[in-house]
Amino acid sequence: MTDNETESSIREDRDLANAKEIIVCEGVSKWFGDFQALNNVSATIKEQEVVVVLGPSGSGKSTWIRCINRLEQHQEGRIMVDGVELSNDLRNIEKVRSEVGMVFQMFNLFPHLTVRDNISLAPIWVRKKPRAEAEEQASSLLERVGIPEQADKFPGQLSGGQQQRVAIARALAMEPKIMLFDEPTSALDPEMIKEVLDVMKELALSGMTMMVVTHEMGFAKEVADKIMFMEGGQIVETGTPEHFFTNPTEERTKLFLSQIL
Amino acid sequence: MNSTNSTSQDLINSDSSTELANNELPPKVAALSPTEWLKANLFSNTFNSILTVLSTAAILLIIRGLLSFIFNPLRQWSATATNMRLLMTQAYPEHQYVRVWVSLGFLLFLTGISLAFWRAGRRVQLSQVGKRLLILGAFIVLATLLAPFSNRATIIWLIVGILIVGIGLLLKPSHEDKTISSLTLLSGAFLLAILSLWVIPYGHHSYLSTRTPKILAESGTVAMTTKLPWTIMFLVAVCSYFLGSFVREKIDEAKSKALLSVTWLISPLFLLFLVLRDPDFDTRHLFSTDVPIFLFFSIVGSVLLLWLTKPDVGEKGRVISAAILFIGFATFLFQMLMIVRILTLVLAFFALAAPTFSGQKPARIRYTKVWIASMVILCWLITAINTPSTAKVPGDFFIGGFAITLMIFFFTMVLAFPLGVLLALARTSKFPIFRMISTTFIEFIRGVPLITILIFFSVMVPLFLPDGMDLTEIAAVTIAFIIFEAAYLAENVRGGLQSVTQGQHEAAEAVGMTNAQKTVFIVLPQALRVAIPPMVGQIIATFKETGLLAIIGIFDFLYIARSVIPGQTQFMGSTRENLLFVSLVYLVICFSMSKASQRVEKRVGLGER
Repeated sequence: MTDNETESSIREDRDLANAKEIIVCEGVSKWFGDFQALNNVSATIKEQEVVVVLGPSGSGKSTWIRCINRLEQHQEGRIMVDGVELSNDLRNIEKVRSEVGMVFQMFNLFPHLTVRDNISLAPIWVRKKPRAEAEEQASSLLERVGIPEQADKFPGQLSGGQQQRVAIARALAMEPKIMLFDEPTSALDPEMIKEVLDVMKELALSGMTMMVVTHEMGFAKEVADKIMFMEGGQIVETGTPEHFFTNPTEERTKLFLSQIL
Repeated sequence: MNSTNSTSQDLINSDSSTELANNELPPKVAALSPTEWLKANLFSNTFNSILTVLSTAAILLIIRGLLSFIFNPLRQWSATATNMRLLMTQAYPEHQYVRVWVSLGFLLFLTGISLAFWRAGRRVQLSQVGKRLLILGAFIVLATLLAPFSNRATIIWLIVGILIVGIGLLLKPSHEDKTISSLTLLSGAFLLAILSLWVIPYGHHSYLSTRTPKILAESGTVAMTTKLPWTIMFLVAVCSYFLGSFVREKIDEAKSKALLSVTWLISPLFLLFLVLRDPDFDTRHLFSTDVPIFLFFSIVGSVLLLWLTKPDVGEKGRVISAAILFIGFATFLFQMLMIVRILTLVLAFFALAAPTFSGQKPARIRYTKVWIASMVILCWLITAINTPSTAKVPGDFFIGGFAITLMIFFFTMVLAFPLGVLLALARTSKFPIFRMISTTFIEFIRGVPLITILIFFSVMVPLFLPDGMDLTEIAAVTIAFIIFEAAYLAENVRGGLQSVTQGQHEAAEAVGMTNAQKTVFIVLPQALRVAIPPMVGQIIATFKETGLLAIIGIFDFLYIARSVIPGQTQFMGSTRENLLFVSLVYLVICFSMSKASQRVEKRVGLGER
């Protein structure tokens, strides 16, 4: 517990008002065929901030978060990540991707590699770390997410919650400045959700910049600095958790909250 | 999940824990007595009974027909036995024949060590062995009664059959725990076969390829030049197995397994071009041309690659690699040694791949070592091929028969596989030009019969070659096989590539891997795993397709059996015997490959789900 307290004090020491803006989106729009998935989305996220994106399915949350490391390409507007603008330039994309960690709904671990190799592969070949150092880092990351004993197993031998924690460790191994979470608990059995959320909380407390798409209202209330509510490809409302859950201004937000709470 | 489960079970069985223990094993099914088994499986109703009787009669007739064909006194089995050497290696010179045995011995040595390192073989229950022996013995007895044997032969074979049945009966009731390694069984069978060479008077047959070929057929055991080498081969295989299991404990297993795999790939080249072909090296040319070229490329290449694999080289490196590739293509416009052209292209390939494998010092040194090793192999191989052979034989190639079947098969597999992977990657690539070239190539090759391609390559291609370039028929035909198989393998690999989910691509991209890294480390390993079963089918098909060599007149296994032996005055019209022998060899090899592949499939599936 003492550990948690010191870490939470780090979190309270943050000066978000003066922090650097690390993700800037200006008028981002994206179409899939004729369907407009993102409609003029503008938002900024500051260093060490935890942003939770809520909204009904099909509202464009996942599309937006995937645009930020260019797994999807936006067609209008600008996205700046840590001062680098995302464009078709391959070198920029690779640079941004190695600064931004991503955790997927379906884990997407590499099934042919052991847990240790899953985590150390990218540091060795992308960050060009010596193998020994990368494997040591993998062990300490597994310790951090609470499954040090699973290092030599294959992903298929782990439970869903364990797999998702390995996926988080894999993203952290690249020492990213930003972590993106795309519905990290949606594919999990209920009793495994907590273990993943605990890891995410710990990460938030350690001062990581996080952008989380989720349906976990408890997590949003407890951890988020800012909640963004999306619908129809637009950000409808942005605010602190207190504001969002107790006193939303928009009709659509109220309707959404009434349906899920 | 587990805890909820056990509590609910506890609730149900709370007062009868003994019952729970009983329930853990499924109830044993009582074994059927032979009459019950017959009734249940063969004579369950009138219609089935009629079918059983009819098909039994048909099977017995077929066996009888086959046996009376094989053991008919008119059959000239000595045609096959006398020409065994011809069938296996064609007219390889007698005084250099020890080279063939050395090559075979080396391959067996590798086999023994590999079997030990990969812990091949499984435990077989003695009772199962007994059951098999019982069936085998019963079959021999049945066959003996059906075959048109002389009285003496009938008695001998009946005794053999009854002996085997007896051993089977003895072993059948042994306990489930008593097992024996399948390798022990296999080597036991080989030992018996080799011992029989020393004891049983098979007869002493040989075909002496002197100026006027002579055929020797005497009674007694087989010739010393046959039984002695085979005994040595057997000992080499067994000893190397024990050597392997002894050494295995003492050294780094993963590394030596990698070394063994590479040796398997390279040793056929050495055996073929250094041992069997026995090139007559010209020392002066060697030291004035070949060695300097090798030294130049390995030193300049190493320095270049050491620099290119630095993580921070960036754009300059790519420009230089592209320039080398350009130079590599440009060399074809000028008069120069082929070896220089090839090595420049290989260097360009290594340079282009360098950023993918860049890293800290150990990684860079490893990459450079791979470069030097490939230089050693390539330079030596090209030099050896360009040097005339001392094995003087009729025809333009130094070996034939089964050996050439194996050789073409080996080259086809080793070269068609990477080419097929490249074609599959090109066909699924984002670049339209790659996609178009690859799709056209694959569809064209798949739309043309193999025999057409073979004839085209053996007859037409040598005519189209530019002046000064020469291609032996064997090389042309091997190239034909390679492109044909590559097109088919590419389709198998493409199936595997499509089975890799979008999520895997995204995960690899999200950690910042380049396209090349994603392909090498994430996509291909998963795709090839999925593609193994269809690829093994393709490999077996390839092996059988080598029989087509006979049609275009290459002295392969089948050609010698079908056309050469029946042409010898003593053995006129012995085609059927030889063809039966050839098909038996093909059957044994293809069947073992398919069995082995089933085990590989099981093993690779591990850790997948």
